[in-house]
Amino acid sequence: MADTESDLLRSSLDLLILKALTWGPMHGYGISEWIEGATQAVLLLEEGTLYPALHRLERRGWITAEWGVSDNNRKAKFYKLSTAGRAQFRAQAPVWHKHASAIAFALRRTSADLA
Amino acid sequence: MSLGPGWRRAFRLPFTRPRTIERAVDDEFAFHLAMREETLRRQGMPPESARAAAVSRFGDPAAVRDECITIDQQYAREVRIMEWMESIWSDARYALRTMRRAPVFTAVAIVTLALGIGATSAMFSLVDGILLRPLPFPEPQRLFWFRQSYPEKGLADWTLSQENAAMYRDRATDFSAFAAFTSRGVTLGGERPERLTGELTTGQFFKVLGVSPMLGRAYTDEEDAPHKNSVAVLSYGFWQTHFGGDRRVLGHTIDIDGSPMTIIGVMPADFAFPRSDIQLWIPLGLDPSRRFGWFLSGIARLKPGVSVEHAHRQTAAIFREWARQAPGLLPPTTVPERTGLTTLITPLRERLTRDVERPLLILQAAVVLILLIAVANVATLQSSRAAFRSREIALRNVLGATSGRVARQLLTESISLALIGAALGGSIAALAVRAFTHSDAVSLPRVDEVGVDGRVFMFTLGVAVFAGLLFGLAPVLHTMGSRLSGDLAAGQRETSHRSIRRLNGALIIAQITLSVTLLISAGLVLKSFRRLLHTDLGFEPSGATAMSLPLPRQKYMNNSSAVPFMIAILDELRSIPDIRATALTSMVPFSGDVNSDGYLIEGHAPPSATGSETQVITMSVTPGYFHTMDIRLARGRDFTSADRAGTLPVTIVDEALARRYWPDGDAVGKRMRLTGDTTWLTIIGVAASVRDEDAAAEPRPHMYAPMAQAPWSRPLLVMRTAGDPAAALAATRRVIHRLEPDVPLDNVRPLSDYLGRALATRRLTEILLGSFAALAMTLAAVGIYGVMSLYVANRTREFGIRMAVGAEPRAVMRLVMREGTALAVAGIVIGVVGATFATRWLGSLLYDVSAHDPLVFVSLPLVLLAVAAASCYVPARRAATSDPLVALRAD
Repeated sequence: MADTESDLLRSSLDLLILKALTWGPMHGYGISEWIEGATQAVLLLEEGTLYPALHRLERRGWITAEWGVSDNNRKAKFYKLSTAGRAQFRAQAPVWHKHASAIAFALRRTSADLA
Repeated sequence: MSLGPGWRRAFRLPFTRPRTIERAVDDEFAFHLAMREETLRRQGMPPESARAAAVSRFGDPAAVRDECITIDQQYAREVRIMEWMESIWSDARYALRTMRRAPVFTAVAIVTLALGIGATSAMFSLVDGILLRPLPFPEPQRLFWFRQSYPEKGLADWTLSQENAAMYRDRATDFSAFAAFTSRGVTLGGERPERLTGELTTGQFFKVLGVSPMLGRAYTDEEDAPHKNSVAVLSYGFWQTHFGGDRRVLGHTIDIDGSPMTIIGVMPADFAFPRSDIQLWIPLGLDPSRRFGWFLSGIARLKPGVSVEHAHRQTAAIFREWARQAPGLLPPTTVPERTGLTTLITPLRERLTRDVERPLLILQAAVVLILLIAVANVATLQSSRAAFRSREIALRNVLGATSGRVARQLLTESISLALIGAALGGSIAALAVRAFTHSDAVSLPRVDEVGVDGRVFMFTLGVAVFAGLLFGLAPVLHTMGSRLSGDLAAGQRETSHRSIRRLNGALIIAQITLSVTLLISAGLVLKSFRRLLHTDLGFEPSGATAMSLPLPRQKYMNNSSAVPFMIAILDELRSIPDIRATALTSMVPFSGDVNSDGYLIEGHAPPSATGSETQVITMSVTPGYFHTMDIRLARGRDFTSADRAGTLPVTIVDEALARRYWPDGDAVGKRMRLTGDTTWLTIIGVAASVRDEDAAAEPRPHMYAPMAQAPWSRPLLVMRTAGDPAAALAATRRVIHRLEPDVPLDNVRPLSDYLGRALATRRLTEILLGSFAALAMTLAAVGIYGVMSLYVANRTREFGIRMAVGAEPRAVMRLVMREGTALAVAGIVIGVVGATFATRWLGSLLYDVSAHDPLVFVSLPLVLLAVAAASCYVPARRAATSDPLVALRAD
């Protein structure tokens, strides 16, 4: 059960990261703030779990990283959506919508009949 | 100008080192925690608890850190591999571009390498297939070849009699199995009788070799007894051609030499022992009481754990025990242990390949020399080009390419060249080996096992990479030598050119040295072979044809029926106009089927006491044999039809024998006999000596008996024809078919063919070594020409100045010629010294030629000197005719 949950979380987290980066390059902290705000703090319980996801996405070539300077003039690692990552997001988002609404629909059902 | 791949390194992210990865992850986390802490503080949390809250919201930093580092390390490794492959690819692409920019250089280099690598690979596939690869039998290192030796009797290599075979089979307990065998042509009866090549073997033949029939079974010791040997095992090929591969062939009966034989087995397709032309194996029908008739070869499988020395002692003891009891073999007072009498056991592979091992290794050495010459050639070309490319390389250094990076690029170029050369060379080798092994002219042991396969491919690849590294080193050393940016300044190239010249000079000397060594070795072998071909053999092979005339055993068992038949055939044949002479004989020269026996001359002590050679080659011939073979009759007369059974037993001896006993007098009228026979034979003639075993050896003594008095059941028909023998052969076939339809005419071969086969290995060595030497000389000439051209081109400026200040064009030309020939002379001198050592190794390949033959040692170096001078001439002329103004303007 735990595996399923973490898989589910991981793939939804990946999708959220890609979504966050569609607004433009962001550092890890910014991404975590965005996800927290956008999901009402439901998904990212531990902020640290964001980073392995980021590094994994970088390794897969969906995002690229570069060191830069943050708003408050600190050295920060900025992530940016790559072309491949943008394509991945465009392909994955509708799939996720379809799955999520199907699951939501199924969970809302009150009868065993299929009519 | 293209920059090449070296510059990319300057812009690489410093990402891949483990320390860097860890620090980056730490920095990233620190930033996150600091930002969170700040936000919390801004929201009103006290500073001391804000830090702790930030960490707790982050989760488990240590675990997350490890996870991130692992991911990044994997990523870094992937990037490194990708980059490496990309850079190799871009190096290779760059190398190809460079090659396209210098098409002449590239073509010359590739062809040179292809020849060198191709020759090396082709030779290696022969050496590998024949010498290196284990025999195609299980545990082949336990297989041994038996021979007996009695040096005092001139019997260094004595085959086995049936009695000998039985005693080893029964008593040599160090071996798990023993078998004796001999090849024999047999007649397959039927509507159209056919000749087959059969192998008569004793019962354990297949057990020794460890190979079982693929179909049916092998025969047993019980089936290998007189009159019980009525079974046969077929070869795969014979099974296919004669029975269409029908598995129901077992139990089928065939007529072999007039006796029914039951087919009990079929051997696998790759079984070819002792030769690939054997069509069926038949039990010999071993008769242990047969003391004489030494016609068998012996092989055995050593038991595991038994030493070769022990087995040798055991077999020698068995043989000496036998010799003690063999009447007349040893003088009464002689103890076998005090003589050289012994059984020798030799590893089977060694025995099969002994005649070709040395020639093959010499040829392999020759091609390695050629490969080295080719490598030296390409190296000189490469390093001369490196001088021209020094500006490009310096530019790349300035742009951030390390010298290691540039060196790798240059090596990639060299190896790419070598690999293209190897691909071409490998194809040449494959074609050459195919043509070679399918050619009838070649008779090498195990040649059917030779082929270009994975091993040869790996060898070729290895040679190519090795060659590429070798000749790639020259330009690399040069670039390593010329430090950064120095060469960017024009005009400073002279110094580096001088070092290149020195290197090229050394390479030229090395090439000429190798060529001289090869040329002299080849020259000696060639001269030997010419001598050998012009040796007086005592008979005239050209224009004569031989064929076997197997008489059906049942019908012509005894003399009284065979002799009239033979006479009838010869009489009929002599009336055919195309046939100038014809006769029957028991053996033709160089057929390898020699019969010899001990002898006794009336009034002389038995020859064994003197220790000299005591065996005489015995032959049965019909009248007219000497005339047909063009063997001179020195004294006396030929046999006539009056010399027949019942009349005075007569013989003709040869000069080798006559000279030994009657150096001054006449042998005619004297009497002699064979040790196995009590009949005294009167000598009626003396024939010229004949070399019929080894053209390079002194002829052994012969004695001839009339076939009517010494009948032979498998006679050979020899005939000397006028013009094309085809018409005469057709007529012969008609005559024989009319007289005796059951006799197939078989194995029709020109007499020169037998000699050709006996000389095949020598001829092969001669042809290959000769062409290798020619190849070496060509490559050396190309090398000298290339280097001298570049040398002249590099010094155009200097020559221009010389001529501008008044030097004669001829003086400039002399200067170039002098420098070129100086290199050649140095190479030749070292090469001649090297050759005196190398030719010692030729040993047995030389015949009637000294290993220091002055003609060869003087003339060939002179030829090479002339070639070197000619190669210098064109560049020298170019130097002399260069326009001073153009030269001065040249950069």
